[in-house]
Amino acid sequence: MELSNLPHEQRDLLDSLRDAIVAIDEERAKELAKNIVNEKIDPNFAIKHSIADAAVKVGEKFDSGEYFLPHLVMAGDLMDEVGAILGKNIPPEQIERKNVIVIGTVQADMHSVGKNLVATMLKSSGFQVHDMGVDVPSISFIEKAKELKADMIALSSLLTTTMPYQKEVIEDLKSMGLRDQFKVMVGGGPVTRQYAEEIGADGYGKDAIDALREAKKLLM
Amino acid sequence: MRLSFWEILLRTKEGPIIEEKQFDLSIFKRAQKLQEKYQIKYDPEKPLDIDGDLADRVYQAGVELFLDIGTYCTTTRRIIKLTEQELQVEMNSCPDELELGQGEDRVKIVHRDVEGDQEPVVVAGIQTTPFSDEEMMFNITKGCAMDRCIDGIWAGILLKIDGKYDVVAGAPSEVYQYRRTIEIIRKAIKAAGRPGMIIINNAPTSLGTIAMYSEENGLRKTDGIETTGMSELKVDYDDLNRSAFGLAHGIHIHGSHSSVIGGFSGGPEGAAIVAVAGALQLVAVQKADSFRCGVLESLVKSRVTRKELWAAGTAIQGLSRNTRLIVDGSIGDHPAAGPGTKQYFYESAAGHIVSTVMGAHSTQGTRKYVVGNTCNYGTPLESRWMGEVCKGAVGMDRVTADRIVRYLLAKYEDKLTDAPQGETFEKLYDGEKLEPLPHYQKLYEEVKEELGSQGLHLKD
Repeated sequence: MELSNLPHEQRDLLDSLRDAIVAIDEERAKELAKNIVNEKIDPNFAIKHSIADAAVKVGEKFDSGEYFLPHLVMAGDLMDEVGAILGKNIPPEQIERKNVIVIGTVQADMHSVGKNLVATMLKSSGFQVHDMGVDVPSISFIEKAKELKADMIALSSLLTTTMPYQKEVIEDLKSMGLRDQFKVMVGGGPVTRQYAEEIGADGYGKDAIDALREAKKLLM
Repeated sequence: MRLSFWEILLRTKEGPIIEEKQFDLSIFKRAQKLQEKYQIKYDPEKPLDIDGDLADRVYQAGVELFLDIGTYCTTTRRIIKLTEQELQVEMNSCPDELELGQGEDRVKIVHRDVEGDQEPVVVAGIQTTPFSDEEMMFNITKGCAMDRCIDGIWAGILLKIDGKYDVVAGAPSEVYQYRRTIEIIRKAIKAAGRPGMIIINNAPTSLGTIAMYSEENGLRKTDGIETTGMSELKVDYDDLNRSAFGLAHGIHIHGSHSSVIGGFSGGPEGAAIVAVAGALQLVAVQKADSFRCGVLESLVKSRVTRKELWAAGTAIQGLSRNTRLIVDGSIGDHPAAGPGTKQYFYESAAGHIVSTVMGAHSTQGTRKYVVGNTCNYGTPLESRWMGEVCKGAVGMDRVTADRIVRYLLAKYEDKLTDAPQGETFEKLYDGEKLEPLPHYQKLYEEVKEELGSQGLHLKD
């Protein structure tokens, strides 16, 4: 389906929903989503057009410094709520599966700022993100990734002495015969692309924007 | 009477329970409202607040924010709150003067005024950087400690035990190696002729940090203990373990907190407000006697962007003008550029001038922002520079500081995201004589002369 094939009023509805999400206008976005359902516009198309476009625009606002992390969090939550309204009539077999990413800061490392930023940017860009927080044991990443049938494990480390845990997750995956099931992306202040390659990671993000680019490259 | 530490711990068990995300968003929403209420506006044309009125409003907003939303304990998922009266008692009871170090190397760290003539305490050394081997760690540290313009030294870390086994945080190797590191540092400062100078180090876990203490050959009571508030008004039991150890042993507690521009603090205005609130948290919750009032910018790996200088400088000024607390600024501690470059010196100077002039000390060492696992990524000359700048800026007025900072920003501001990497110790220093190689000495002299012509007269 093409946007140009829709009647003018329906196109306006989809654009308005996108704009309401970008403006983080919760009430209006939900109302518009209900109107879209009532208009019987293809929900998968609506999700793709309104939510995916909104995600791109929110990301641009963050990159330019107009939006901050809390805007990403609120926009991400709103996208979930709007997605649930739009998607309630989609038969389960037609629901497009999102790529699932398990993310966290490795064991003995309490730094959360960069990890939060990456997690939120991934979520607001359409990934299903499970944030495990900070100080996460290596085995917990693996168990959660197995449970959620995740596509990727993303590991943050802000200390030179916690970087070995990134390697540990990869080594444990190998030992358990699971290495091929999950992509592994690493990042954090002291982590370099060279180190990521040395430990056998699939991806590396030098900052949040780079991490998002890398995740898209690896999974989409 | 001050709230006991045990009352704080009780509140971590009995305070309101809330989801972490809700707390994070409450920081942003409340800071935005306070920003409007107190008419706090960042103006990129004015990197420093030169009259103090704005700083006073930032201070008031920071107090209100702290009282409104409190501190989130991530271990128990509960909020620790204080009443206005309790906070006032905490602040009034906090010392405005402390003694650190021992013997002839002992120094007083006092409350500093804005544009004050109180000497700032400077703790330099290459903060938390990896060293290739014990000899290199000993030599570089000795070289830093020999410089009389610094008062204390930060330690780094050796990443391998016996040159073979990885040191891993949270594992027994952390406990062993951080303790070994301090023994090397103590020998180095003794060899430098300054056996009683302050040493600071902070291991990733409280267990590793506590293991470093030994009056004979480790960290001493007179060195203090670091407790790091998790970013943006949070704390966990690992942080509070450090406070508990400090209180149990009568060790001066130094706290550190950073608000985040682009994070849950919002923009620079919110970051300035949250920086004040974070400082109050360190005093009231973590029982710090002195604290670093810091600001980070989420997308830039330097601590001296225009926004960071404004936010940290204004928060520090607000605290200095409105309290008798001992504030640590250290804004210039993490340049984007590496050692051996003019940009390193420019960034370091901008941050340390703002720290000193706004009423703070600088105790967080010298280090390129991102060092990775590159070893020996620094030299004693950056420590000398830090000490000379901090002490050279004593008594400088804000108008002069503002002019010099604008000059420096013009030198580095557009190069922060692609900053020169610089060189390691081996490329910049004569390891035997512990002196800069001629090309590095020349570069240093050039910058020194350049900033002298701008009105920054360094003390030797």
